[in-house]
Amino acid sequence: MDRMEPQAFADLLRQAGDKAYNFAYRLAGNEQDARDLVQEAFARALEHAGSYDPSRAFDSWLLKILHNIFLDGARRLAYRRTVSLDAPAPVEDSSWEDILPAKDISAADELIRRESIDMVQLALERLPAHYKAAVVLCDVEGLSYDDIARIMDVPVGTIRSRIHQGRLLARKAYEELERSGGRRQ
Amino acid sequence: MNGHADGPDLSAYLDGALAPEPRARVELHMASCADCRAELDSLRHLKLALSAAPRRNMPADLALALERRFVTGAQPWYAALSRKRVWVPAGALAVAAMTVSLWLRSAATIEEIPLEPLLAAHARYSAEALVPEDNLVASNYSDQLSDLSDASESDLQ
Repeated sequence: MDRMEPQAFADLLRQAGDKAYNFAYRLAGNEQDARDLVQEAFARALEHAGSYDPSRAFDSWLLKILHNIFLDGARRLAYRRTVSLDAPAPVEDSSWEDILPAKDISAADELIRRESIDMVQLALERLPAHYKAAVVLCDVEGLSYDDIARIMDVPVGTIRSRIHQGRLLARKAYEELERSGGRRQ
Repeated sequence: MNGHADGPDLSAYLDGALAPEPRARVELHMASCADCRAELDSLRHLKLALSAAPRRNMPADLALALERRFVTGAQPWYAALSRKRVWVPAGALAVAAMTVSLWLRSAATIEEIPLEPLLAAHARYSAEALVPEDNLVASNYSDQLSDLSDASESDLQ
């Protein structure tokens, strides 16, 4: 692997380091895995530097690599919290109808109003990998749908769907956490 | 639009990602649908909660590890020991520690060796070492030996 000049590497770190680490932490849910993800992402980015398109933002490219590594790891290790996208129901013991807006909207709304950041993060951890990545890139990193589509390498329409379904799943998980007193399962 | 607004449209509306035409359609529907307004509000609160989570910036030691791994001429951890910024405070600390140590040591020495017994011992040894000055002159000493020798011979005879 080619090494970089100190200033060039410092520029890359400044541009993408914090964003990559935050994304990795939200995906992995813990510091050690986030560190491993970031290290591996930088290693692959520098290894395949020849395929980088300088007209595109480096941070988006790095996030794309990081996301792929995360998905590879999730598939390989069959993460407990990750389910197949082909599965008919995204949440165990529920269907898509279950996660559609509740009839009692004011109650659901009040639930969200009393949000705790920790609980929301726990809810986020429960999402299947694809939904989690889409929601994190949109709501945590504030990226546009086009950028997210490039990072996740899927059409924008798919991103629209994943972001919305991911939010519904996060809200559902949040409500379950509320009922169980915020305990991890 | 029949029933309620399409879910992904609501999320896209919230994210400012709808094209003008569908955006106008969603706004028209929400004007007369309290359920969809409430749903949009609920999604907005969720989005705010997610975005309000404190950001996790890259730890400094991880950035350093990346630099060592990927930067030309980056030095291993022990190379940091050769940097002036490490040795200056370390040297100052060592000098301070040595000064304190010597001060404590000298203070302890004064307490452990009392002066009076030392002087008494010196006087005693000086007294015991006193020898008549005449005996210290070689010729006198030879004469005394000669006298002793003569006396012995006469005694034998």
